[in-house]
Amino acid sequence: MRRVIADLVAFGRQYMRSRIGAFFAFAFPVILILLFGAIFSGQGGTKIPVYVQDLDDSPTSRAFLAALNNTTVIEYRNIPPNVDILDHIQANSINTALRIPADFESSILANNSVNVTLYGDPTLSTYGIAAAAVSGAATGMNFYLAGALPLIGMDAQTVARDQFKFIDFFLPGMIGFTVLTNALFAMTPTAAEYRTRKYFKFLATTTLTKGEWLIAKVLFYTLIMTVSALIIFTVSAVVWGGKAVLTPLTFAFIAAGCFEFTSLGMALGMYTKDVETASAVSNAIGFPMMFLGGTFFQIEAMPPVIQGLAAAMPLTYLNEGLRATMIFGNEGKALLYLGITLVLGFVFFLIPAKLLSWKSK
Amino acid sequence: MQIEVRGLTKIYGDLHAVDGIDFEVRAGEIFSLRGPNGAGKTTTVEILEGLRNPTGGDARVLGVDVANDYRKIRERVGVLPQDFEPFDRLRPPEAVAYWATLFNRRMEKSEVDALIETVGLTARAKSYAMFLSGGEKRRLGIALALVGRPDIVFLDEPTTGLDPGARRDLWGLIRGLKGAGKTVVLTTHYLDEAEQLADHVAIMNKGKIVARGTPEELIVKHGHGTRIVLAGAGQEGLRALAARGIDAKLENSDVVVHVPTAADVKNMLSKLAPLDVPLREIYTRRDTLEDVFLRLVGARMREGVLAE
Repeated sequence: MRRVIADLVAFGRQYMRSRIGAFFAFAFPVILILLFGAIFSGQGGTKIPVYVQDLDDSPTSRAFLAALNNTTVIEYRNIPPNVDILDHIQANSINTALRIPADFESSILANNSVNVTLYGDPTLSTYGIAAAAVSGAATGMNFYLAGALPLIGMDAQTVARDQFKFIDFFLPGMIGFTVLTNALFAMTPTAAEYRTRKYFKFLATTTLTKGEWLIAKVLFYTLIMTVSALIIFTVSAVVWGGKAVLTPLTFAFIAAGCFEFTSLGMALGMYTKDVETASAVSNAIGFPMMFLGGTFFQIEAMPPVIQGLAAAMPLTYLNEGLRATMIFGNEGKALLYLGITLVLGFVFFLIPAKLLSWKSK
Repeated sequence: MQIEVRGLTKIYGDLHAVDGIDFEVRAGEIFSLRGPNGAGKTTTVEILEGLRNPTGGDARVLGVDVANDYRKIRERVGVLPQDFEPFDRLRPPEAVAYWATLFNRRMEKSEVDALIETVGLTARAKSYAMFLSGGEKRRLGIALALVGRPDIVFLDEPTTGLDPGARRDLWGLIRGLKGAGKTVVLTTHYLDEAEQLADHVAIMNKGKIVARGTPEELIVKHGHGTRIVLAGAGQEGLRALAARGIDAKLENSDVVVHVPTAADVKNMLSKLAPLDVPLREIYTRRDTLEDVFLRLVGARMREGVLAE
């Protein structure tokens, strides 16, 4: 055990002194949690801007715009009535615009139907939100004008065990992402560097065993990722009022994730010819996992084919397992995903443990 | 014997990297393995360090069969590998303390400092290894090779790439190891290093040992005796010697007279003394280990076999 600790300390010193390591372990996840928190916490400009050209400028058109504003998802901005709306959209790179015709009020008063026109790119999610808001405002106004009362309403009820915000759903993914980037992205080039600079051969002249060296790396990443997770959690709670909870299983997931991705990094590093190639290989494997493993985007919202891919990504089980224990309190699912993470970790660990040779041929 | 090698071979496909070599190393001596690049030196040494498995033959270090029982002596052997690079962001004392633990030793700070001083790195103790010069890095490597208090130290090309000053500094350090009773196996391709440091030398070429012995023995056995050089004597000197029946040859403007042994020098000088030819100086020159090496590994060794 003394040799493991000595190797852990020596490796840790070098890692933290590189500054890049310290940045990705502690500063980078904090920056991301602050950034994504600012974007999605509902503070400051999360409403979709819709540019409106009101050619009618009547009490009825203004009432319609007021109804639009009441949807809380849209913030309308004016387009002058004397410009061509399409030219204005192009000149100002506007995503979504609404045109209210000049006969808006007169048509309504005459009991004639009238259409407002929504301009935009239907492939953008903001267009869909704007279309739903405009349609909702029109429906509400139609009910009002017809003197009818809506009979079906909707009550919103969260399925999480507390009043969670987006940041709480983001936090477990952020912890999983940090484990992935540190353990995998750092360990792959490190293993390649140890091979190309002949550190493995030099270590083979000592009494340190291969297994001890591997365990020291896993322990090191578990240690710094635990600290990193605590920092991320604290920032989330203090700055964004996050309410996700740290459970014992959270720490078990951090350890299992470090075991899994450190082992995978070492396995990849064994087969890459130099540090640059190792970095490219870890990026090629890590980046798809980052985007498809449920860190930034909900897996359920992805197309079925991509969901199938996500199910094959080790990060998915880490992220979803963390979410299960930290947000939903679903310990059964969390334990299942912890088991999957550990099994994958053992498989990845066996590759360098069995095939990595410190000796020359 | 600290090291005994008998019929050692290492074969990669058709290549006989080490081809049935024999040698032994006595306790407390500096033994140098020399040869050109690709001669099989590092392969041989790495077998003795337990880093490669031999294809055949027997190699014993400290009485242990290195192919099967190396772990028994791992703590008694120190190694400075070829192209040694220290861990970039560890300071020398940190690296020494870390390495000592890997040899199951707990070194007190005073012991670490003493070792750092032994290798002459006290002034650089606070620098990260990445900022040390080439010579300082090798010194640190030697310190790491010594942390386990080894009986045998393998130094594989310890001075390659260093400037002459740094090389001579390291020579002093290597002599100090011998003085401390360590057995040193020194691999080098520098021609003067073995002559300066080694008690015994084995010259390898194409996987075979083509000559071995003390530097003096090698020079006597494979050298071309002693030469008396009449610097600047030119054609006039050559004619004067020929007139006295003395065989000589012209090398540039110098006249060179070959004498078979050192004992013949005095006689020849007495014959040369009466000569009245213009010259700058007279001096004697003996073959060096470098001359022997070039002769053995060069023209006469093209088939990889020593032509006795």
